[in-house]
Amino acid sequence: MTKVKNRIRRLRFDNDEMTQQELANRVGCTRQTIIALEQGKYVPSITLAFQIARAFGIALEDVFQYEEAR
Amino acid sequence: MAPLQKRALYGLGIGIVFAIALIVVFIAKGDVTTFDEDLGFRLIVYALWVGVPLAYLIVVNLTLRKPGQVDERDRLIMGRAPKVQLLAVIFSLVAWVIVLTELYWDKGQVPVVFLTLIMISTLIISTLAQSLGILIGYWRVGRND
Repeated sequence: MTKVKNRIRRLRFDNDEMTQQELANRVGCTRQTIIALEQGKYVPSITLAFQIARAFGIALEDVFQYEEAR
Repeated sequence: MAPLQKRALYGLGIGIVFAIALIVVFIAKGDVTTFDEDLGFRLIVYALWVGVPLAYLIVVNLTLRKPGQVDERDRLIMGRAPKVQLLAVIFSLVAWVIVLTELYWDKGQVPVVFLTLIMISTLIISTLAQSLGILIGYWRVGRND
């Protein structure tokens, strides 16, 4: 079993407390998807993952971390 | 609640009300043979049948066409909904076959009116099951399945 974790919530606050709606508008998804991502209930496509990383101006690996469960 | 989820919920509600209304009309008018004999009644049912889904589709398309209403997560969920639709349609057809076979076994033939009723019920069930499939999809994504 694998798990993809992310730091979206932390990064939003570090970027002038960006709202979920603002991030959703920037990457072209719904606010509900951002909520699901932050709660770890949804793993995005590679395209959306890159768009989110670009929205924060950092590398993909700085937003998403791949962990292999033992 | 995501726009698509809302749409599915409204769709399910409208579909159930529409289905119940049709059943009530049939019961109030007597039985299924009324459909065969009464042209006025038949035209009302046909008008409802064409009008309601058409109005629903127009409203849904206008709602979902706005930018940012549907994203990859919604499309993933929509893509899974046909599994529920298929199951629902198969079960409804099996139910029709069993009921009609048991009812008309002795007569050896089934009234033609049932062809229309089977089609109408199958399309209603298919539409309802699509909404149900979308709602199940959101529930499952929420559970992180």
